[in-house]
Amino acid sequence: MNWHTKWFRQTLYGTVVLSASLIALTTPPAALAAEPREDLRAAFDKTLKGKKVAWAPVWLGVLESEWTRNMKTHFDDYGIQFTVRDANFKSDVQLQAVSELINEKPDVLIVQNPNVTLLARELKRAMDAGIYVIQVNMASNTLTDAYVGVDARDMGRRLAKNIINECGGGKGSGQVAILEGEATAAYSLDMKRGAMEVFNTDKSMKVVSSQPANWDANKAGEITATVLQQNPDLCGVLSVWGPQAAGAAQAIKAAGKAGKTKIWVASDGQPADCDLLEQGLFYRNLSYRADTQGEAIVNAVLTLLQNAEKPGAKRFAYYTTPYWVNSKADRAYCFVVPKSGTK
Amino acid sequence: MTSIQRLWHRNSPQVFLGELLEKRWMEPIIPFGLTIAVFLFFAVSIPGYSGIGSLRQLSLSFAEQAMVATAMAVTVLSGGIDLSVGSVFAMSNFLALYCYLVLKLPLPLVVVAVVGFGAVMGAINGALIAYGKTRPFLTTLVTLIVLRALYNKLTAANTDELASVASDSAVWDFLGAGSILGVPINMAALLLVAFTAHFFLTRARPGVHIMAVGSSRKAARHAGVDVKLSLMSAYVISGALVAVAGIFYAARQNSAGTDTGLGWEVNALAAVVLGGISLAGGRGTIARAMMGAAIIFMLVSGLVRMGVSGNVTTAMIGTILLIAVGFNVKWVKNKGKVQQKVYVVPSWVDFEPPPSIARDSGTPFAENDRLRDAEPIALGQIEGPEDMILDRRDNLYTVTRNGSIVRFAAPDYAVREEFARIGGRPLGMAFDRDENLIVCVAGMGVYGVKPDRTVFKVTDRTNRTRMRMKDDSRLYLADDLDIAPDGKIYFSEATTRYELADWALDGFEGRGNGRLICHDPKTGVTRTILKNLTFPNGVCVSHDGNSVLWASTWLCRVYRYWIATEKAGTCELLIDNLPGYCDNINRASDGKYWLALVGLRSPVYDLAMAKPGFRTRMIKQIPPDEWLCPGINYGCVVKFDDRGVVSESLWDPGGKSHASITSAREHKGYLYIGGLENNRIGRIRLPDADPTWQGWDSYWKAAH
Repeated sequence: MNWHTKWFRQTLYGTVVLSASLIALTTPPAALAAEPREDLRAAFDKTLKGKKVAWAPVWLGVLESEWTRNMKTHFDDYGIQFTVRDANFKSDVQLQAVSELINEKPDVLIVQNPNVTLLARELKRAMDAGIYVIQVNMASNTLTDAYVGVDARDMGRRLAKNIINECGGGKGSGQVAILEGEATAAYSLDMKRGAMEVFNTDKSMKVVSSQPANWDANKAGEITATVLQQNPDLCGVLSVWGPQAAGAAQAIKAAGKAGKTKIWVASDGQPADCDLLEQGLFYRNLSYRADTQGEAIVNAVLTLLQNAEKPGAKRFAYYTTPYWVNSKADRAYCFVVPKSGTK
Repeated sequence: MTSIQRLWHRNSPQVFLGELLEKRWMEPIIPFGLTIAVFLFFAVSIPGYSGIGSLRQLSLSFAEQAMVATAMAVTVLSGGIDLSVGSVFAMSNFLALYCYLVLKLPLPLVVVAVVGFGAVMGAINGALIAYGKTRPFLTTLVTLIVLRALYNKLTAANTDELASVASDSAVWDFLGAGSILGVPINMAALLLVAFTAHFFLTRARPGVHIMAVGSSRKAARHAGVDVKLSLMSAYVISGALVAVAGIFYAARQNSAGTDTGLGWEVNALAAVVLGGISLAGGRGTIARAMMGAAIIFMLVSGLVRMGVSGNVTTAMIGTILLIAVGFNVKWVKNKGKVQQKVYVVPSWVDFEPPPSIARDSGTPFAENDRLRDAEPIALGQIEGPEDMILDRRDNLYTVTRNGSIVRFAAPDYAVREEFARIGGRPLGMAFDRDENLIVCVAGMGVYGVKPDRTVFKVTDRTNRTRMRMKDDSRLYLADDLDIAPDGKIYFSEATTRYELADWALDGFEGRGNGRLICHDPKTGVTRTILKNLTFPNGVCVSHDGNSVLWASTWLCRVYRYWIATEKAGTCELLIDNLPGYCDNINRASDGKYWLALVGLRSPVYDLAMAKPGFRTRMIKQIPPDEWLCPGINYGCVVKFDDRGVVSESLWDPGGKSHASITSAREHKGYLYIGGLENNRIGRIRLPDADPTWQGWDSYWKAAH
């Protein structure tokens, strides 16, 4: 190629000029950069990108998986690193997992307490170590930066009032059995306290049994069968959790008491709970939705990370509102597990 | 190519492997290796896993589980099992929390009460099992269920109290989260418990009794062990240990959840089995239980930490444990067989055709009838006179198979008398300056018998060979000895790899497994002076006292090791390519030496010695009575001089009365003949010999 031809020089010059003007046209002028909405997003990204959030549930059941799915979707979107440690219902393993997480120093630690005492000491240590701590649904004796979940005591009251309407005041035998979860789990403990508070105000009501079923359907079934033998006129069963209440429903059916002994369930909105209600095995579900609760957890994380406060300084609360599920029409209060995990 | 093969066979790494497998600590090699492997795996795949903080955290959570595994191990070692550990643990946890945080009892009282509770539960189990003769499995299973139900009742009944427990006590928090010199308190306690338990089971009488009962209840009873008390004590210890673990757990977790201790009996049992402790009892160590517990613990915590979902974790651990336990059980069971298979490693030995022994060959080895008419002494009264010696009063001493030195009194040698009993298998003998009889004893070392018959130990160990897997400091097979003018005792150890009963296997190996050792009675020091010798057998100090002659049986050679003159410390080959396998060497009256040939070489066996693969296959594939062995049922006595020249030989054709000859000793014109498997001592007159010459004078007269 000959570098000195006129044609070549002209073409080269023309190309350079053209590219330069194109670049000048497509690049916005510096004066226009101070767009407030863009800044908001930039600051959001700056605060959140690369932050570490660790999550230690009791296990990864239907409820916890739904929370996890929601958290992961959002955190991935925001560029937050997300770690999950599944203790699979072993409290010693969970304590250890939480201790290790504290040593790994995430920015936010989210825990679901198997009982009110187990993690109490470690949660305090986490905040002292500069980690924001969020507790989900099952709280500890130690209060932390945020609590996301139901007001278990209030749910207990609401369930008890509803039961009294059906069983108390001469409408039913007034005999009711409470199926606790893990007795020292805040969710179960507080719900039972709330219910007892209400039952104790009504002379027509008699709590014939209040026993822990440890989140286990078989155990709940055994307890219910025994209670039914001793109290054939049992009017209502209050179960603090859906899956274990399924065992109670089978026991009632087996005892031939279907329709006579009714089940009230505090439900986390998992689809099976609505199914059982629609089949007539549960009488009423007081249900909250795990998917929206998962979003609330994300919101709590966003608050804490965008807040200038030090860990341990504030006590935010994000209470979930429960809804009554009476029939198929209320299906919307059970969440739907998406078939595909895409956003 | 052949030279490489030769080199390979002569330095086979299989020898190392065989000696490695022989080590007792090789038995738990699988759990040990797995512990290291699991740790390394997580250390590599989890960032910060091996950091101080992480290790501290791990040990915090590990301690209680390991203590429960220790408790389980004690009962399994006693031949039983304690399934109740899980619920005794849960109950102890509850009691500690309840007594201390709810009832506010003083901590020392709480500790005593809870440990007492554990011990009592153990005592109930133990009493039922030991005195009630119930089965451990069912008994402790019932205790497990009963205590679990009680635990569930008690925790449910005290929900509100337990839910509000909080500790403001520094001592309690120290028990839960404190540390001693950087080690978490419960880990420190575990170390203490493990060391104590190990010491108890291996060194303390009641602990050894537990192990004995576990090994064999019947044998323990015969040995005078109180079987029932030992059995019961194992369960009491188990209960108390579990209670201690429960206290630490309570202080650390402050929680009495329903899952406390749930399934821990299974984990503890898995740890014990994974560690390779025999469920039949009696075999295993606390360290092994620790290893098993560590593997399970690291797998659980590591997989959780890697973010593996709970169900997958459980399934993975189950699979890994199944494989590991299966492999380990096989290993423990078959280690002996594997060891047997790899232990014998034949080497490569090249032979040239030996000088002829034919009657008309004209060689000094030509067969003759000079021993045919040997006069039998002590016929049928002794078994296996490998060596014999005569004292200054002409009394004849010999060794026997059953560990005694037998004396036949001069002059007719008719009266048999047990001179001294040493034990082991006495072999070569020599008199020292003080007329003490010094004897090599296979399996024991070198011993002496004073003229007043008191037996004393000369030495039973030498310096250990550096860089060798096998501990060869103990003497295995001291064979023959002689004493130098300065009183130093030179003796041969034929092999350090085989017992006397297996000396033939050493022959199949043809390897340098033996050594020449010197013991100095003045300093009491025993030192190996030559090692890697191929079955050094006879030892004799030369007439001038400047060198030690020693014979290598499988190489059919005699060597000279210089102990004086400017050559001191060097070794040289004196006679090569003898037609038979050499045994003891003794002085002759004419300044020469008598050498016993225990057997004769054959072309077939010579060829086999150059075919290590053939010998390996032979040992592995055919029964011992069909093995091709060196011919040791027909030998002779030869005489050689200081230059290594053989001048004559004495034969008993057909080996009728003196089959394998292991020793020939001259005394006052007679030659006495002994054999390792013979039933007599033979004696022939030596017409040309000095009729006044005797061994002791030859060694010590000039010095006196």
